[in-house]
Amino acid sequence: MSTIDIQLQHRIEQFYYREAALLDKREYQQWLLMLAEDIHYVMPSRYSPQRDIEKRGQESFLALKDELESPSPATAPMREENIFTIALRADRAYKTNAWGFNPPARTRRIVGNVMIEVSENEKEYSVNSNFILYYSRHRNDNFIYSGQRNDTLRDYDGQLVVARREVILDWNVIEAPSVGLFF
Amino acid sequence: MATGHHFTVSDYVNDDASYIHRGVFTDERVYRRELERIFSCNWLYLCHESQLQKAGDFLTTFMGETPIIVALGHDGKLHASINSCRHRGLPVCRTDSGNAKRFVCPYHNWSYTVEGELSAVPQEKYLQNPPDKSSLGLKKVPRLESYRGLIFGSFNEHIESLDDYLGDQKFYLDLYFNRFPEGIEVIGEPHKWLLNANWKLPVENQLGDVAHGPYLHNSLIEKDSDAVHEINNHGLNCVAKAGHGAALRFMPEDSDPKDIAWGLEGFGMVMNPGMEQYLLEVQKSAASRIGEIGARCKGLTFGVYPNLSFLWSNSTLRVSHPRGPGQVEYWSWWVVPKDAPDDVKEALRINYNLLFGPAGMLEEEDSEAWTQQYIGSRIPDARDQRYYYGMGLGEDGNHPDLPGLVGSCFNEHYARQFYLRWRDEMDDIDKINVE
Ligand code: FES
Ligand SMILES: [Fe+2]
Repeated sequence: MSTIDIQLQHRIEQFYYREAALLDKREYQQWLLMLAEDIHYVMPSRYSPQRDIEKRGQESFLALKDELESPSPATAPMREENIFTIALRADRAYKTNAWGFNPPARTRRIVGNVMIEVSENEKEYSVNSNFILYYSRHRNDNFIYSGQRNDTLRDYDGQLVVARREVILDWNVIEAPSVGLFF
Repeated sequence: MATGHHFTVSDYVNDDASYIHRGVFTDERVYRRELERIFSCNWLYLCHESQLQKAGDFLTTFMGETPIIVALGHDGKLHASINSCRHRGLPVCRTDSGNAKRFVCPYHNWSYTVEGELSAVPQEKYLQNPPDKSSLGLKKVPRLESYRGLIFGSFNEHIESLDDYLGDQKFYLDLYFNRFPEGIEVIGEPHKWLLNANWKLPVENQLGDVAHGPYLHNSLIEKDSDAVHEINNHGLNCVAKAGHGAALRFMPEDSDPKDIAWGLEGFGMVMNPGMEQYLLEVQKSAASRIGEIGARCKGLTFGVYPNLSFLWSNSTLRVSHPRGPGQVEYWSWWVVPKDAPDDVKEALRINYNLLFGPAGMLEEEDSEAWTQQYIGSRIPDARDQRYYYGMGLGEDGNHPDLPGLVGSCFNEHYARQFYLRWRDEMDDIDKINVE
């Protein structure tokens, strides 16, 4: 890895740490500023499909993408959001009567395994990262989410923003009351 | 309740169901009985016909806690069997859906056709007295019938036809399932999530509890909005037959088509104003399929006893699979008019997954209410405090245009009727004819 790469790696990791910190501190309005105005935020649903027997013996036999329902007219992804719907969720957290946020979410995000690919467009990076999100609701109502994020980060006048995010959770049957949190 | 008192169904549900005991939602023995008397005896929703198109197409689901494979057989017929090997009980199908000729059990590799027959026992060539394969097929769901593409199964061989079971609920189901020129289709796999609540809580909510909208969901639905006024002015809870329900807005005869067309409300329109044209087009011909009265009905929530729900504006069918008194595995499918252009479907999807399903902003509040109601139902010193289900008691009756018992959308008669039927079935020993 060249020096530049290490700097870039550092820069992007710091971006994610800051993002996680803002979200855990419930500073969602600050966090919104880390998103591109044209952000595309999706969460495919995940199921157990029948595997293609022709591919047996090959890695493609277990291709992750075959388990995902990413947005297309023929699928039912769990989330597909834009800046408007994300902001709507963020605003709700500060209302007295948004009962999903009362008491407010106690969360802890750990982001790691950050892998960067520089795309043809110099101003954009494809970044994969993994996360563990611990979520504590009422009393002892506690949940752990694990998953992957496939992002496109855009360098916008020297400032990074998330232009695209795909969140892949590791459940078939979801064991939490909501996957509407910010991942 | 004094200790030693023998609890009967009338202690759980009083005679007019205006009071419901908390144990209905929590007691293990109630739950065990429900599996036998409710889930093994009624028609249960399995899937929609659009999910099984070619011979060999299959999907897995549940009837109560019983794992089921539903398949379109190579004989062109529908088959539903219990997903459990006759040898030692392992599931023979381990995927959510697909297309197959056979299912091979992992343990000793007995194999079964998608129709459920045992087709091969690899060990038989080493045996002098091989097993009689013809008697060792997967246990079949003995009754399968469908209405407007909605496929139901029952373990009760003697159950009335699905047609009779639904009765006038067919009128209400038609409002959506027969509204569109090409019918509807289910798209994609269901979303599945576990909630720490009794299975009846989501069912009851979506059977007709429209009244909670601007309260529980006040952060999204303002009490003074047009949508809420419309519900307050025109909202009705209709019970075609005890246990089923349909909450809808019955719009005046001179309504603007925009006010009665299906799907024109909600976020989808903001995302794609172009969908208006398609939906108004549908509205023009709706009366030819569902009648003038039907075309004036704008649905809200529907339920088919015991555990199927449908949300009108949010394009979603759901089933509440019981997992013990305190847990439900909730399944939710996205449904659309089949002939809608792709961009209209995608816009309609926003009304589903932004608001309902596991990431839904409204549903995360509903599920919060259900899990908290479950917790509330377990409070030991509150066991003598039955829940009040009497709102609107005696205020429902016949309606000049709509079938069944009709009350205002604040009338909880849909829930009272549900629990009266439930009480009957829980008590009716003769109903048990499942081995
Ligand atoms: S358990 Fe299925 S083959 Fe033995
Ligand atoms: Fe609700």
